[in-house]
Amino acid sequence: MAEIALENVSKSFGAVEVIKDISLQVGQGEFVVFLGPSGSGKSTLLRMIAGLETIDRGKLLIGGKECQNLVPGKRNVAMVFQNYALYPHMTVRDNMAFGLRNVGMKEADIAARVEDAGRILEMDALLDRRPSQLSGGQRQRVAIGRAIVKEPAAFLFDEPLSNLDAALRVRTRVELAQLHQRIAATMIYVTHDQTEAMTLADRIVILNDCRIEQIGTPMEVYTYPASRFVAGFVGNPGMNFLDADVSTSGKEASATLGDGSRVAMTISIPDDGAYELGIRPEAVHVTTGEGDTKGEATVVEHLGDRTLVYTRLGDGTSVIALDDGRSQVAPGDVVTLRFDTSQLHLFDSAGRAYHAD
Amino acid sequence: MTPDTTRRYNIAGGIITIITVIAALIWAFPIYWGIVSSFKLEDEVVRPYIELWPENPTLRHYWFALTQTQIGSWYLNSVVTALGVTVLTVSTSLLAGYALSQLRFPGRRPLWWLILASFMVPTQVLIINHFVLIANMGLLNTWAGIILPQLIHPVVIIVYKQFFDQVPREFREAAVMDNASEFRILTKVYIPMNWGVTTALSIVTFIWAWNAFLWPFLAVTRTEMMTITVGITQVSDAFGVYYARQLASAVLAGFPVALAYLLFQRRVTQAITLSAGIKG
Repeated sequence: MAEIALENVSKSFGAVEVIKDISLQVGQGEFVVFLGPSGSGKSTLLRMIAGLETIDRGKLLIGGKECQNLVPGKRNVAMVFQNYALYPHMTVRDNMAFGLRNVGMKEADIAARVEDAGRILEMDALLDRRPSQLSGGQRQRVAIGRAIVKEPAAFLFDEPLSNLDAALRVRTRVELAQLHQRIAATMIYVTHDQTEAMTLADRIVILNDCRIEQIGTPMEVYTYPASRFVAGFVGNPGMNFLDADVSTSGKEASATLGDGSRVAMTISIPDDGAYELGIRPEAVHVTTGEGDTKGEATVVEHLGDRTLVYTRLGDGTSVIALDDGRSQVAPGDVVTLRFDTSQLHLFDSAGRAYHAD
Repeated sequence: MTPDTTRRYNIAGGIITIITVIAALIWAFPIYWGIVSSFKLEDEVVRPYIELWPENPTLRHYWFALTQTQIGSWYLNSVVTALGVTVLTVSTSLLAGYALSQLRFPGRRPLWWLILASFMVPTQVLIINHFVLIANMGLLNTWAGIILPQLIHPVVIIVYKQFFDQVPREFREAAVMDNASEFRILTKVYIPMNWGVTTALSIVTFIWAWNAFLWPFLAVTRTEMMTITVGITQVSDAFGVYYARQLASAVLAGFPVALAYLLFQRRVTQAITLSAGIKG
């Protein structure tokens, strides 16, 4: 296993720049997830590491070796594709052995590696089947097995779970996490599904508009989003954003919301003025006591362990609040909302984030 | 659908079926007539009225074709040249189709246009050039002379290119990641994934080559080097044409193709469908 480093890499398709001066270090054995919306450049970046797209400028180092000019097969990385790309005319065994035969490995060694991979992925009994005889989850495992047998420096996953149904996706996600713990391999994983990113990653790289917005552990990007984009993209349901006029006195700040209510917080911002106040639904509580503002419940979602209450404030702003599983709130009720001020964020007009202390 | 419209559809379907059956009978009748006549005596064939069944069925014309002509050599020549054309056409077209579909090289687009443009040139226009060329090469009256000018089948290249274009990009990328050379990608991934089209194109190319008449007729003057389609024109003597004898030879000539068609009916239909839209 090896570390991977990208140094100021860029890529254009014609006149369109699709990767803009990205630098990144992936540690040995680390599980890094590239997360971003469609068109953010995450798959292109992965394919540049794989060698399936050229790198126009900058360097790619795999295990300390410059690789940006090497063909994909010489980079010692393995890739798992979104649609698995299993050769339909070959058995599982032949699919896994294909890459090893290409480099002229002895058949006995190939057989041993394939058997090992079969054991690791618990699919010994499937080795002589063809892909068409396997379920989606099993095909996914074969695709991973095909990567494992190569014993690569790093594994690259391009949205590998997106073709699976919801239940299977959860199960395979757990299996992937277990696999990473077992083989401690360097893995780079591309997804637009933030749940996958949050549950699998050691670190998440959030991409937007062909640039890196933030790199951090799942809790870092969730708790301290670096920008308005990250705050809005990570978390489900998404963060609430409210227009606020903020005035400060030292570190003490007071935000006046659109409906006239005031929220006090401890935060450091460079200037007073107009900001967006961000707060996650779990930091907005429905209360019977004193609160920060009031809103009318429009939709109530009972999720069992908790209830999401969609409210509309006096100025029409929508705020999602969290209540207990046994919430008695009904649509049309006017509810009092209390903000957990330690979990407030302010975003300036450029999208920069400031977090409450 | 209301019962009324259902009935209307049934009536329309019935009429179409009847028309189709009539058309099929009209189409098949000459074949039936040819086969039946080959079992008739010569004087029965030339009677001025229609007899749907031989009065005195005989195998004498078949016996004649098999024993008194060089039909054995003609069969051999046809088998060798048709197989040669098939193997060479399919293998070269496969490589060309793969290159045009998957490789990026200077001149790829002009080459593609050139292949498409070659449709506009009928084979007959080139036949004198071919003859002069093959004669200069000293290949008249040889298998190579029959085979070489028949290797130009742009339609096979186009069908291959279309099929290779449709293979999802990930298969190629997975192979590239697995260190496979272009040759291995072609032989281990693309060809096996497109066996159906290779089989279909092979059968249809074989049938084209077997049925070819004009070029083999020009390229060969020695009776023993003729293909079967050309050879059967020789089954006559100084006293004129013997229809029953010629029809028996024609039945023998068409038999392998008919057999091939019956055995691989589905594939042949598939190949004809594949190339129908393109051949024009």
